[in-house]
Amino acid sequence: MKALILAAGGGNNMAPFSSTRPKSMLHVAGRPILYRSLQMLKESGFNDVICVMGPLGKSITDYFGSGQNIGMGISYVQQKKQAGIGDAILAAKGKFTPGEHFLLVYADVVTDDNIVRNALQIFGLGGKPTAAICLPAESGSFGNVYLDNTMNITKIVEKPQDKNLGNYVLAGIYVLPYTFFGLLEKNRADMAKALAELIKREGLRAAMWEKSWIDIGYPWDILAANKMVMDTWTHAHVHHSVQIRDAKIKGPVIIEEDAEIRSGSIIEGPAFIGRGTYIGNNVLVRKYSSLGPKCVIGFGVEMKNCVLTGGARVGRLSFIGESIIGEGVDVGSGIVTINNNMDGTTVKVRINKKAIDSNMAKLGAFVGDHCRLGGGHTISPGSIIEPETVVPHHFTYPKRGK
Amino acid sequence: MCGISGIVSHSNISRRLLDSIQNLEYRGYDSCGMAVINSHGPIVRKNVGHVAEVAEKELFTSLDGHVGIAHTRWATHGGVTPVNAHPHTSCDGSIAVVHNGIISNYGELRAKLMKKGHRFASETDTEVIPHLIEEFRKGGLPLEAAFVAALKELDGSFAVAMVSAEEPWCIFCGKHESPLIIGLGRNENYLGSDFNAFIEYTKNAVVMDDGEYAIISNESYSVKRMSNGEPVGKQVMPIEWDAEMSKKGGFPHYMLKEIHEQPQTVLKALAIDEKSIINLARRLIESRRSFLTGVGTTFYVAQLGQYYLASEAGISAPAISADEFLEGAAFGQEDFILAVSQSGETYDTLRVLREAKRRKTRTAAMVNVIGSTMARLVDDVVMQGSGPEICVISTKAALAQMIILIRTAIEAGVITKRITAAEKKQKIKQLESLPEIISGFLNEHSGFVNTLAQRTAHHHNWLYLGRGRYYPIALEAALKVKEVAYLHTEGMPAGFLKHGTIALIDDNLKSLVFLPSEKEEELYKMTMSSIEEIKARGGSVTAFHSSKTLQKSKLLDDQLMLPVSGPLVAPLVSLVASQLYSYFAAVTLGKNVDKPRALAKSVTVA
Repeated sequence: MKALILAAGGGNNMAPFSSTRPKSMLHVAGRPILYRSLQMLKESGFNDVICVMGPLGKSITDYFGSGQNIGMGISYVQQKKQAGIGDAILAAKGKFTPGEHFLLVYADVVTDDNIVRNALQIFGLGGKPTAAICLPAESGSFGNVYLDNTMNITKIVEKPQDKNLGNYVLAGIYVLPYTFFGLLEKNRADMAKALAELIKREGLRAAMWEKSWIDIGYPWDILAANKMVMDTWTHAHVHHSVQIRDAKIKGPVIIEEDAEIRSGSIIEGPAFIGRGTYIGNNVLVRKYSSLGPKCVIGFGVEMKNCVLTGGARVGRLSFIGESIIGEGVDVGSGIVTINNNMDGTTVKVRINKKAIDSNMAKLGAFVGDHCRLGGGHTISPGSIIEPETVVPHHFTYPKRGK
Repeated sequence: MCGISGIVSHSNISRRLLDSIQNLEYRGYDSCGMAVINSHGPIVRKNVGHVAEVAEKELFTSLDGHVGIAHTRWATHGGVTPVNAHPHTSCDGSIAVVHNGIISNYGELRAKLMKKGHRFASETDTEVIPHLIEEFRKGGLPLEAAFVAALKELDGSFAVAMVSAEEPWCIFCGKHESPLIIGLGRNENYLGSDFNAFIEYTKNAVVMDDGEYAIISNESYSVKRMSNGEPVGKQVMPIEWDAEMSKKGGFPHYMLKEIHEQPQTVLKALAIDEKSIINLARRLIESRRSFLTGVGTTFYVAQLGQYYLASEAGISAPAISADEFLEGAAFGQEDFILAVSQSGETYDTLRVLREAKRRKTRTAAMVNVIGSTMARLVDDVVMQGSGPEICVISTKAALAQMIILIRTAIEAGVITKRITAAEKKQKIKQLESLPEIISGFLNEHSGFVNTLAQRTAHHHNWLYLGRGRYYPIALEAALKVKEVAYLHTEGMPAGFLKHGTIALIDDNLKSLVFLPSEKEEELYKMTMSSIEEIKARGGSVTAFHSSKTLQKSKLLDDQLMLPVSGPLVAPLVSLVASQLYSYFAAVTLGKNVDKPRALAKSVTVA
């Protein structure tokens, strides 16, 4: 069986990252989401995968190349235009041969265990087309899957209008027959319609997933996914090349090669310090922080529940909490990400000109790739800073206009 | 559901054939048997009981042969007797057949064959198959053609496997609507109702489709179409699976599987012959005193029955827990005891029934396992036909028993003239609407139940409250949570609360209230007043209800909206919701759902 992984999706609601990287290249616990998907495939016995990428595909090929660094063979297919999932699957049709089943994986879902293996086991029970399903915390924005008592899917209602529906949803992992390409062609690449026809013709078995599952739809979902993955860590791993002087390390902390941690710093796990990252003196890295690779953290910085994609610099005496910092961002000295509202309400974020409630009591800032933030700023909760923005230093003296 | 298996090898197979049906035992376990070919033809051994018992009694492993078929039975046609166990043979004993499924036209086939001089040993539908094959063989068809011709005569569902003296090196098999899978090994091949039959020997399988038959020898197999005898190219599937997962049919746990099977279980309980229900109703009416009994879940089932019998038929039939029965009830020759048990082996309930026998009290039982001690002990038995229930926590079997008791109450109401023919029709219609309501609920609300469980399962102390018919539901719901999620939950009548227990209400004690529909005005209002009482003392209330007005009010701390249904079945919808809630609570808390600590499926000890 071959595996097809869909990594093209940019996500309309993923500001400020949607213009520089696909969702699959957002980092969670030190690695792109796509890396985790590939790892699951490898553990399930797939060595060769076909990866569909979109206009921002370069970020994928730059990171993974032909896959030799992770012990896999990746062949890429370019989706011409962003025309939905069905279109992305059809773009790869030429890589498959009639009569075989293929595994389909969406690279924007994160799970805390191998959901692919689970789906393959269910497929193995009868060789019928299979779709993974799960019960998300809130199913409002997903479809509703109807099951019979033998775990066959009888119906899928896409994005139900009825708020009183809350059931299993499609989890983005499928085992499908080659004939599915034909069903997609017949239904103008409409995934929902093609699945409905598949259910009628061959049936579709449900592979029920009861562990955690997060579909990355909004930028704050990255923080939830980051926490979910780190919560599965039970041990600390410190590479032998790491230099640590008079620093304290507690709990499951992963520190990769050539990282350096200076004296007086405290790292509270679960946390991730990437390859070549430098942590200066008296830095406090608290739970669920993912830093690196190649970040430089200045003196006296406090970090908590945050993701630094890589190559970021954080100037001295800053605070980064509940925030996502893109690639190569320069955070000036003394910057504070404020992460709550004084009135105790949950933080709202302006995305596509709409204020969307994140339902999170604490949420900091989302800083796009290659931004440069001058020193001395306090950033309001839920701020989105578009990529490559340059924010000048903030001075309180001399007073402006005097 | 039954399980069939077969092995064709070049070495002795009896041990492995035994293992194979043992692995299928979850599909049915009231009797079993096997046929192994030796130089004289098929040798058949079969009997009543669990596979291990029968194997010992019938010395399965002493059989010597390279080709054989086996069967484990869950009776549908014919009682649980040694002759009714499979395999069944032809008159001359040269053909042995095992079968899973139901042959709907077996009556006429049997009559026809008997006219032609065939002698039948059993009451089963299956036995027509070997005789049919024999008949076609006598008519001059070669064995393969005779096998196919026989299968074509059958209406209904079947998976059939045959061994014969004539071609002793192979197994013939065919299927329509019942599952059949071929396993491909090295120099030997296998056959099974599912993978579990040969899971230990091979991971390569061929799944047969409807209308196909196959001939399997130790070195090859061929699959052909019954319609024209043409070979079918089948894909060999290398399978990555584990045995438990396969038995669970893809569900993560038996408990969830059995919860999802409930629409079917209800249908089966509704299909039970009206006569036996009326018979129960008559006994309840005509006896001097009637009692219901059970223990654990079945006691709560009995209690629910008590409420329905009182309200529908005006019969007073108190439910008494079987472990307390002998001390708490006075009964004699003119009285009647109706017992409820899934396994039919429950020690406490059997003790009551044995004592009743001694005192010549009339007895009846509602049982799921055919051939169980209780089914044999009582004067009248109603088989609930819910299929094997594997999870230690009873869900579907309990629901089916409730349906049967409600039907009994309705029939009793008709006899006592409390219910008119038109009312009965309306009530039966309500019951018939239940499968769809349940499957709708499972398919559209599981997410809400899961979310509620995740939010609330970490609270350790609960009161489960309900009034009227919702009181036994509260008790059973509380027991489910205790059994599977190990939370301390106390079921109580909502009206009882203010007479003492209300003193416990504080931050650490949560309440879950089962509300009737607003249309049952009186009951609804009274239950609401209990909620007000708890709220007035600063308690927290979660409710299972179907009221739109209540949904909008700020009274409740948490809630689960149920689909609107008729007053007769609404308590059962609440029950299903609470089963699912206990399941998700256990999953949330990481408990062993199917095998809770310290519990066994049937409690056969004092």
